[in-house]
Amino acid sequence: MSASLAVLVVIALVGATLLTGWLLRRRDGRARAVRDVDVRPLLVDPGARGERATLVQFSTDMCARCPQVRRTLAAIAAQSDGVRFAEIDLTHRPDLAQRLHILQTPTVFVLDRDAFVRTRFTGVPAAPAVTAALHRVTGDAARV
Amino acid sequence: MSEIRGIDPRGPRFAAAIMSVLLAVTVVLGLAGLSTATVDAIGWRAYQPLASSTFPPGAAALPAAHLAARIADPGFLVLLAVALLFLWGVAWPMSAPWGLVYRRLVQPRLRPAADLEDPRPPRFAQGVGLAVSTLGLVLHAAGVPWALPIAAAAAFVAAFLNAVFGFCLGCRIYLLLQRAGLAGRARRA
Repeated sequence: MSASLAVLVVIALVGATLLTGWLLRRRDGRARAVRDVDVRPLLVDPGARGERATLVQFSTDMCARCPQVRRTLAAIAAQSDGVRFAEIDLTHRPDLAQRLHILQTPTVFVLDRDAFVRTRFTGVPAAPAVTAALHRVTGDAARV
Repeated sequence: MSEIRGIDPRGPRFAAAIMSVLLAVTVVLGLAGLSTATVDAIGWRAYQPLASSTFPPGAAALPAAHLAARIADPGFLVLLAVALLFLWGVAWPMSAPWGLVYRRLVQPRLRPAADLEDPRPPRFAQGVGLAVSTLGLVLHAAGVPWALPIAAAAAFVAAFLNAVFGFCLGCRIYLLLQRAGLAGRARRA
């Protein structure tokens, strides 16, 4: 291959990578409502569940962006009545990643009072999006 | 998860930016070099074909080239340097050159980091980069055409996404390896 063609190929590669990154960033942290009524209650220790809702974060030891999400979610849970935060380290639970179809960390589930999964976030969720998802679960629209 | 003293997350991104430049150069050299050359390309004699080889027109030149010629290919040499830098980052992250440049020259000119980051994920990602570039080197040395630029391009995409967007593809691979049972620890009782 000639050098000039090789340079053109690399320029195309840079462009394709930028496009991929832009698409990944657009999709990152997006909320997905879980409507499937068959989703069984997630097995979070009942003592760790919130009365009204629970934020569950899935992490691993090799997750660069999990600590920032942990701080965000813990702060939101601390400010909301009846909402608790739980973190599940998938490093120790590869079976859960399989069963819950988790392909990347952080992944965040919003559970309702009966521990059904109502919303899932893949990637780093924005704090307002988490709060909005919590309000949908708790039926409390007034709180911000 | 145990809290380990964090690192400035901009450090690994700075290193990834330099690595992505090196990897882009590797892809250019790999594409323009012996890896994709055909025997009828101009100048193929420079690749010292084995005396016993026959050359149908359009055939790949790499399998017919001597090991010495494969290794002397500029793309191979630059990717070897990249692989050694990845190895440095995996084995001795505190002394890795781009990290030192960042801490000595760049960090003092920036505002303090808003958030410190766990050093283990970027280190793991360096290991993924090392594995990919080593695969490219081994296949190229074994005479597989196109292996070198393709491996360098894969590593480039990961490094460039990390530098520009802060996405750590290597870290994402960890969970996939874990799900496949190739990484991580078994379930605790």
